[in-house]
This record gives sequence, structure tokens and C-alpha cells, in this order.
Amino acid sequence: MFIKFVVILVLLLGSCRADAEAEDTSVLPEGFVDASQRSTHTNNWAVLVDASRFWFNYRHVANVLSIYRSVKRLGIPDSQIILMIADDMACNARNPRPGQVYNNANQHINVYGDDVEVDYRGYEVTVENFVRLLTGRTQNGTARSKKLLSDAGSNVLIYLTGHGGDGFLKFQDSEEITSQELADGIQQMWEKKRYNELFFMVDTCQAASLYEKFTSPNVLAVASSLVGEDSLSHHVDPSIGVYMIDRYTYYALEFLEKVQPFSKRTIGEFLQVCPKRVCISTVGVRKDLYRRDPHKVPITDFFGAIRPTRVSTDRINVTLANEDDFIQVDKDELVARKPFKIVMESQFPSDLFK
Amino acid sequence: MFPRAFVLLLLVAFNAGSPLGRDDERFHEELVVRPLSGDHVNTYFQFTTRWHYGEKDNLYHTQLTPRVIAELLQQFAVKELHIGLTQGLWRYETWGYPIVEATSGAEMWAWFSGFNLTNDEVDRQWKELANVFSGVLCASLNFVDNTNSIAPRHLIRPQFMPANGRKFVRYSTLPREIVCTENLTPWKKLLPCGSASGFASLLNSGHVHNTKYHSLGLKVRVLCEDHDEDNCIVELTQTANLVYDLRLFELSNNDFSLRRLFGMGLNGFCELAQSSKIYVQRNEQGERFQLVPAPMHEVKSTRGGHTVVYSVYDMHEQFKDAGERLFNVAWLSPKSENRRRNLAKPVMPPVTVHRYLLGHGQERGRIVTEVTNSHYDALPIMVQEVIPWYVHAYLHTLSIRRKPHRLNEYGRQRLPFKLLHYTPGKQRELPSHLEIGFMLPGQTSALITIDVDYLLLKWLEYPPDANHGHYIGAAIVSSQLPMGRNYTALPAEGHLFEHSFNATRPSYVLSLHTEALIVSLPTPDFSMPYNVICLACTVVALAFGPIHSVATKMIIVGRQTSAPKNFVKKIFCKIFRRGKAAEGAGETEGAPTSGATEFASTRAAARPAGGPSGDQPLLEDLDEEEEEQD
Repeated sequence: MFIKFVVILVLLLGSCRADAEAEDTSVLPEGFVDASQRSTHTNNWAVLVDASRFWFNYRHVANVLSIYRSVKRLGIPDSQIILMIADDMACNARNPRPGQVYNNANQHINVYGDDVEVDYRGYEVTVENFVRLLTGRTQNGTARSKKLLSDAGSNVLIYLTGHGGDGFLKFQDSEEITSQELADGIQQMWEKKRYNELFFMVDTCQAASLYEKFTSPNVLAVASSLVGEDSLSHHVDPSIGVYMIDRYTYYALEFLEKVQPFSKRTIGEFLQVCPKRVCISTVGVRKDLYRRDPHKVPITDFFGAIRPTRVSTDRINVTLANEDDFIQVDKDELVARKPFKIVMESQFPSDLFK
Repeated sequence: MFPRAFVLLLLVAFNAGSPLGRDDERFHEELVVRPLSGDHVNTYFQFTTRWHYGEKDNLYHTQLTPRVIAELLQQFAVKELHIGLTQGLWRYETWGYPIVEATSGAEMWAWFSGFNLTNDEVDRQWKELANVFSGVLCASLNFVDNTNSIAPRHLIRPQFMPANGRKFVRYSTLPREIVCTENLTPWKKLLPCGSASGFASLLNSGHVHNTKYHSLGLKVRVLCEDHDEDNCIVELTQTANLVYDLRLFELSNNDFSLRRLFGMGLNGFCELAQSSKIYVQRNEQGERFQLVPAPMHEVKSTRGGHTVVYSVYDMHEQFKDAGERLFNVAWLSPKSENRRRNLAKPVMPPVTVHRYLLGHGQERGRIVTEVTNSHYDALPIMVQEVIPWYVHAYLHTLSIRRKPHRLNEYGRQRLPFKLLHYTPGKQRELPSHLEIGFMLPGQTSALITIDVDYLLLKWLEYPPDANHGHYIGAAIVSSQLPMGRNYTALPAEGHLFEHSFNATRPSYVLSLHTEALIVSLPTPDFSMPYNVICLACTVVALAFGPIHSVATKMIIVGRQTSAPKNFVKKIFCKIFRRGKAAEGAGETEGAPTSGATEFASTRAAARPAGGPSGDQPLLEDLDEEEEEQD
């Protein structure tokens, strides 16, 4: 009942500007439209974390960049992606292909790309910063791009990769976050209305142990391996001497590469992306906190972004002020400013040497 | 969320419709290509936005100047800001002096000025400023704080300062900072045309990061009319300085072209740019190359008695009627090149610097800075050192020794200080800050040494890769040259590269950076606690097991029987005896425990009798003992 009310409200509110939108959605199949209408989010955020340092953990950086590449391709802007990478692989002195990170020894996809913004890097990737980021308790003066400014309408994707064990994930080989801390952080996010739905993805050994303690609603979690299992890497590139990428993320990327912004693929399909025969580990899924049927949730609910746009050829006054005022201001500004002579300071204290 | 996105989109459209190129705001793009000795090529990009904005209120309406820069001037009392992000080391001996100086890693300094500005307020603003740019440039500049910042006294000077108000300066370096695409991407986004058109379209990450040296720079300065804060100019200069090694291109000859260096030709000029020019140096190392297409103009610049020739390509003329073609310049070397490739020796620049560490072990060492003057006359030299708090410097050990070029070793002859400024460091709070000035005679080297101790850090102060070592930032060496040979920096009052043409001055201020140092502080074995726990647990378990069993178990003394020699009889005997032993256990269980001592003594007596053959179990429940060890 409540959901229906919200949907009607959203439709009413949106009807004034959703003409073009309605046209687009009409070409989509019935079932999909239903599902997307039931989705209540208004914006998308992604928090992507690579928690391990050192060159031999190249695969973890490739993992996180694979997901980064996908969410960015599907429409989440850099300003709404928080990317944490604990070490630099692209410009590492050991990388024979500077500025490039590949997911495959055949160099199919440069997951680092030409347009990348890393928000937390190197020593900044700590458990403290990660928990502060999730809970919105960043220190004073933190740059805007380093904050998760999500709200009650945000669908948040959290992706973690690194070395883990039963109930913990290591950060930079020097500290670890436990599953309890993670669950508390997410609970606090829920209490502070920092997400609408949350998709938690983790690729590490014994990954399923990380979502065991979750109690917050609207959380869908997937892990690359069950408790007691190791997550394995996919293959090694002999030319750089390290493993390229982990199995689970490799197949996840393969799936995501085929997804387009208006794709009909669902989260349900995504959860089956890596069957045991290719992953070797068993992919764990936790659905009990999630109220929707994953097979009816489009994957773009978490990996894409809603960005309603409308193309207009007319001039639109968005500031609601009198447009003539602005034209006046423009004219005023065209008044040539008075030039002046600039007196430079001496750049060397010569008097000290006299 | 929605309305904001709408407003942004529409504002852009609105702006695009309004007449561009307001008279008070200009954007220029320049590219300088200088062939260097040893098959290196220096390409220097400079993007300059100069906005005569007048009074502060106008800063709300930005056009070409990025909004973040305009907001900066509203928020902070900053008058001059320099940020450099660099990977690699500039080789002064072979490459000469760069157009813009930088040290490897991140470097940042800023001048603040304003009424009622206090030291604490400047500290706060400085930290916030660093945080802003850590977000804008995706660099870890948020690590800049009071523990690694200093207030330089003499060496770093403002280029321009309003006459009124107090002046403050802060300087910091982060030598560990890595520079990669994630810094280049947001840096390009500050440009009016982004990376879509103009020279910035040449800066593709794959072709920027395969260089030997690359440095991104950002410089903001505010110039105001005397005593008048309402008539000001803000200047944003973005620079990218790259050095390519042609040998890495695996070419048969020494030819190169823009397309070869950057992966693509030039797709035009930025439509918002007032001027868009390529300068190619034609003398010195550039002399041997033939340019295709032939340049439009040639500029001869005489500066301080030294003449440099530049060929100029003006993109506005080039793309006037050329259509959609990509523009490319090729440098062709003559066929006989290979023979005389190494004949063109580089001209040694007048002042060069180096820095290294002496000493061994992880306890104490000595920082050495070497300044060489190959000019015939004495030069004033200033050195600024920032020594981090985890290294203790001893001022009394500071000395400058000299070595004329004809000698091989430094003697005992010392040079007198003209200037010595020292701010002692404080553990975990302040770095040591040292500024030295002295006159360095011609054809002489100076060796500046200071002894240091390395501190043992606290457990949590070690970074995750503690064994990598800790950095000591580069020293800055500054001098004043009487002649302009090798000198390419822009004059302080100029803002375009072309302003350095024919800019003869009485003297030229040179600023050089030494290498950054890496020290290995005493680093504990971080796996030690784990090892100790494992070892201690093992020892406890090994000790506890036997003691526990001795203290709690009963010992049954069995009868000594002669073992039968026949194999079948042996087995029979064993089975028979096991039955008896079980009976015996039942008996002892029933019996009252008559003290452990008695059993212990019987055990001691019984053991030799039992012998190593072990045909009879002396202790029962051996399994229980094993379980304790787990």
C-alpha cells in the first residue's frame, strides 16, 4: 500500500518533466517497467575498495578497477563513485605498460582507462577512513569528492576486495575490518538514512563471513566464496609475473561488459554469474534482508545511474529571476577594467650577500 | 538532486549562448618542444587563464577560470599558490634547466595575506587548502599538515604582494606521492576546453606516463593594484613538463614527430583560446633537425647575452582553412646523424646540485648536499632543507666545505655562512627547517653536511610498507645568475612563454631541487609478536602436558615377564596381558588414591625396568596427553 502511494507520488511529481522519459520506457517490456517502477531510488552511489597493497596484489587493483569501469560506463558519474586503491599499479615501476592495468593477459580491456579519478589512495586507505566514509563522519575539511553524500533515496553499491579470513578483511596488511564493524557501519548508514537499498559485493577468501552479521534492511549481499573456502585468482600474466584478476570479478566483469544502460539484465542473473565449475569457490548470496525479488530488479538499479535529462532547444529560465537583470549584468561586466602597473617583488634576497 | 543537475546542464547551455571571450578574461595555450642532448626531447605545455576580475564579488561569475579557483579566492586569504606533481628526476647536467622547476612527488606552497590574519588562522587555512586540492587533483595532499610544513624565511619569496596586510607563507613536500592518470584526468578538467580539443588532447595517459620525467604544475596568483583590493587579476597557469627518451621508441633513426610522441596529431586548437602556438627550439640540440612542415615564423630571443631561436606554428593560422586534418610536426635528422650523434655535447649549466646520505646502520647518518659552481665567478647560493621530525639534526655539525675543481677531494677549508636560519624540529609536531646562504667561489664545489639521528617510531606510526623506508624531501637550492645561458624560466612579471623572449634582466634567479632521500629508520619485525605468541604457547603446552599428567595420573607397575621369542606366542601373550591390564586398572580405580608421591616414586623405579622396548604400557591414556597440546 505504502509503496503504491510512493510510486503514485513519484509519478505525479515526475510527470511534469518526464515526457521524454515516458517515451523511452515504453519500448521496454512490461515486466521490466513494473520492476523499475517499484524501485524507489533516486540516485546511485558506489564505494569501491581495494584494500591490499604491494605489486603481487595487482589482481585486487584489477578487480576494483573492473567494477569501477563498469559502473562508470553504465552512468554513475565520478562524483558519485568513491574509489579507494591502496597502491599504485598503473604507474608502478614494475609495470611494463605504464598507465595501464589489464584484466587479462591478452590485454583485452584496459580497466584503468584514460579517465580515472581515485579518491582515496595509498596510505589513505585505512579502516578508519572507510568506516568514516560509510557513516558520513569524515573529518572537518575533507574534500567533497571524498565524501559519500548519499541520502534516503540512494542505491549504494559497496565492493570490497583484498585478503580476508573468517570474519575479517585485511587493509594493507596492517589492520583489518571485522564483519561486526562492517555490519555496525551499515546499520548506522541505515539509521542515518544514507541508503535506500544497498548491494554489498565482496571478493576475498571466506567472503561470506563478512555479511553474516548484517541486520540492516534492504541489503543484498553477494560474496565470492563461502566460509571455509578460498577465492581463487583467474590466471597469471607471465610478462608481468603476477596474477591478473580474481575469478569471481573476472566473470562479473565479463557479464557487466555485455550490459548496456537500458539493458534488461537483472541482479538475479548477476548473482549466478560465476557457477562453481568456473569459480571453484561457491558464490554466497544473502537475500533475507532484501525485500524485492532479485530476478525482477534490473542490474542498472545498482550499477547504473538515474539521470533524467531533457533536451530543450528553447531558452529556459531556471533561476526564476528576471532574465533581463542578467542581461544587464552581462553588459555591465563588459565595461573594460582599468589596467594598472604591476610591481613585482625581487625573487632573491641579494641584500643578504652584500 | 534533480534540480541541481538541471541547473548545471542549463547553465552550461546558457553560457555557451552568451558572447564568449569577454575582454577581461583570456586563455592561452602554448607548447614548447626542445630537443635535449642524449636523444631526449622536452615537451612543455602551458595553459594560462588570466582574468582581470576587478572586485571580489565578480568571482561568482566564472567563465574560463575554473569555479574551484574562484571559490578559493573567496574562501581563503591566499594570494599565490603553487602545486607540483612530479614523477622522475630532472637531470640538470645533461638537460640544462627546466622551464618550470619541480621536485619528485608532490610539492605545494602558498602565500597568504590579509588583515587580521593570525598564524593559527593561516595554519588552518593551509590545511584546508591542501584538503581542497587533494580532492581536486586526486592526490594525497591531505597529508599536508603542521608536522611536515614550514614557513620559509628567505628562499621562497612572493612574486607579488599587496603592500598592506601581513604576509604568511607555508611550504610542504610529500616525496612519496605517485603521479598517474588519476592526477592527469582532474588536472585536464580544469582547462576551459577540457581534453576535448586543443593541446590538452595530446596529453593521453599512455603517452604521458611512458616518459622519463613528467611533471604537472598548477600555479595561481592574484595581482592587485596598489592599495586597492577592488582591481585585481587572477592568473591560473597549468603546466605539463615531459621528457621523452627517443631510444625507448626503438627507432632506426632519430626522427620523431608529435604523432610519435603523443600517439596522435593535433586536432585543432581550443576555440576558447586567445592564442594557440607551438614553439620549437632550433639552436643547440635542435639545430640538427629539419622540420616538416616548415615553420611559419622564426623568433630570435636574446636574453642575458645568449641567443635562442624558436620556430613558431600558430594553430589559429594553421587551422584557418585546413578543414578537418590533424596537424603534425616531424623532426627529421640528416642521414649522417648516426656518425655525429654524440658530437653535440651538452653545455654544462653553471650550477648543479646533488644530495645523498652517508653513514651506515639505522641509528645515525649524515645528509650531504653538494652544490657545484662551474661559472668562473662567485655566485650567491641559498639552500633550504626541511628535515622531517623522525630525523634529528644536530646544528653544531653543520658545515660547508669547499673543493676547487682541480682537486679530487674536499679539504678542510670551510666557507663562511652569509645567512643561517634554523628552526628546530619537535618530535611528532614540527620538522626542522634550515636555510643557509653563502658565496660559492667560481669553479668550486661546496659540500654541506649535517649529522642526523634516526628516531625509533611508535608502533602505530609505521606505514603499512614500513620496510620501504621513509623519505626526506628534496632541498631547494637557489642562486642568482648574471647571464642567461641555459636559463629558460619565465620572468616573474610574465605569464606566457613568449614573455621570456628577449627578457634581459640584470640577473636571473635560479631555483633547483635536489634528489629526495630515503632513509631506513629502525624498523621492528612486525611479525615478532605473532612469533612470540606461537613460541610461548608451544613452550607452555609442552611443559603443561607432562606436568599435568604427572600430577594427575596414576602409574601402574606391571609385572616383569620374559618376552616369548616365538612370534605367534608373542601376539598371544600381548592379547592376554591387555586383558589383565584392564582388570588391574579397574582395581586401582576402586582403590583410594594414596598420594601422588608414592606413584611417582614407583614410576621412577619402574621405568628402567620397563625399558625402551615398551612391551608394557607404563602410563595409561597416552591419548589424553596429546589432546592438551592442541
